[in-house]
Amino acid sequence: MTFSLLHATDFADRLLYNIIPPLKAGMIVLADRYAYTAFARDATRGVERQWVRELYSFAVKPDMTLYFRVPIDVSLDRLMARRVKLKFYEAGMDLGWSSNPAESFRLFQGKVLDEYDRIVDEFGLNVVDAVGSITEQQRVVRTLVAKHIEAIDAAREIPHEQPA
Amino acid sequence: MSNLPEPLYDADGTPGGASGIIQAGRYYGRGIPYLPIDGYPGKLIAVEGTDGVGRSTQIQLLREWLEVKGYGVVETGWTRSPLMQPTIELAKSSNTLNKLTFVLLYATDFADRLEKEIIPALKAGFVVLTDRYIFTALARAGVRGVDRAWLRTLYGFAIAPHLVFYLKIDVETLIGRVLESRGMDFWESGMDLKHGDDIYDSFRAYQNKLLREYGSMADEFHFRVVDARRSVVQIQDELRRQVAAFLEPAATS
Repeated sequence: MTFSLLHATDFADRLLYNIIPPLKAGMIVLADRYAYTAFARDATRGVERQWVRELYSFAVKPDMTLYFRVPIDVSLDRLMARRVKLKFYEAGMDLGWSSNPAESFRLFQGKVLDEYDRIVDEFGLNVVDAVGSITEQQRVVRTLVAKHIEAIDAAREIPHEQPA
Repeated sequence: MSNLPEPLYDADGTPGGASGIIQAGRYYGRGIPYLPIDGYPGKLIAVEGTDGVGRSTQIQLLREWLEVKGYGVVETGWTRSPLMQPTIELAKSSNTLNKLTFVLLYATDFADRLEKEIIPALKAGFVVLTDRYIFTALARAGVRGVDRAWLRTLYGFAIAPHLVFYLKIDVETLIGRVLESRGMDFWESGMDLKHGDDIYDSFRAYQNKLLREYGSMADEFHFRVVDARRSVVQIQDELRRQVAAFLEPAATS
C-alpha cells in the first residue's frame, strides 16, 4: 500500500508541475510510463485493482497510449546485457517469491505482463511489438502518432503543412 | 478473493454501500486484499478533534487507565510513521506541496501505520488508541476543496474503528486554549489557504471551516460526540464510561 501511495504522490506532483502546464499551453507531452504502470505493478503486488484505478482518477487521460509489448525472456536479456544486477523492486524481490533475482523477475514480471494485457483491453492501449529493431518500432510509432495528430488537426481544421 | 467482504462504499464513494452499514473492525471500502482482518481480537479506538482540543492529554490518561485494568495498549498518531514523517516535515517546509500531494503523503503515512502498527496490534488483541484518524485527513482536504467522493474511496483501505470519539469544541474556546499553550502555528491556521496575512483571523476562519467539516461527518461515521469545553477530568470520565461500557458490557450494566 505504501509503495502504491508513494508512487501516486510522485505522480501527482509531476502531473501538476510537469504535465498539466504544458498541456494548457497546447504542447505535446510525452510521458515515459503513466498511471497504467501503477495499475499493473500495484495489482501484481496485491493491491485492489479497482481501488488503484479510482486512486488515479485525478490523472489526465492520455490522448494516446503506446504499450511496448515484449516477452519476459527478451526483457530479461536486454536488462542483463546492460547491467549486472536486477533492481530489487523491479524483480519483485520484496514479495519473497524467490531468492533468485532472475527467477523472481520472471515470476513477478510475468504477472505484471498479465495485468498489462488486461489494461490494454480495458483502456484501449495501442500495442507495439517491441521485439523488433528500434527502427522498425519507431516506424510503427510514427505511423500511429502521425495518424492521431492528423485526426486532431483535421478536427480543429488546422491545415497540415506539407513536407517540402 | 471470494472470502473478501463486499465493498462498503456506493459507486459515488459514500460509505455504507447499499446496506448503509459501516461495520466496526472491518474495512470501510475496498480494503487491502492481502491483509484480511476479519475476526481479529483487538479493538480500535479513535480520538478525533481539531488542533489543540486536548486529544493527546485524554489519550495519555485513557492509556494509563486501560493498562491498570490489564489491557495491552498501543498508541498511534497522525504523521507518526517512521517511513513518512521526515518526508512530510521536509515537504511542509519547502512550499512545493499542493493539495493533492498533501493528501497523498498523509494517506501514505496512514497506510504505513495501518500495516505496520495498527493491524498487527489488532491481530495480537491490543486496544489501539489512535490520536486522530482518517477524519482529520478528510476534514483538512475537504476544506481545501479536494473531491469528497474521491477522498472516501482513497481511504477505503482504512478500518472502521470500534469507537470514534469526537472532541467537540467551539472556535472561541479553542482560541483561548491554543494561545495559552503553544500559540498558533502556520498549518493549523491554514495560512496556506491565503485567507490573509493575519494569523489570528486565518486561524479563526480555517478552524471554523474544519469544525464544520468534522460536524458534517459525525452522522456519516458514527462519531460519539464529547463536549470538549469541559475540564480534562470531566472529559476523561465520560471517555472511560463509554470505553468501559464497550469493552466490558457485563461489568457496567
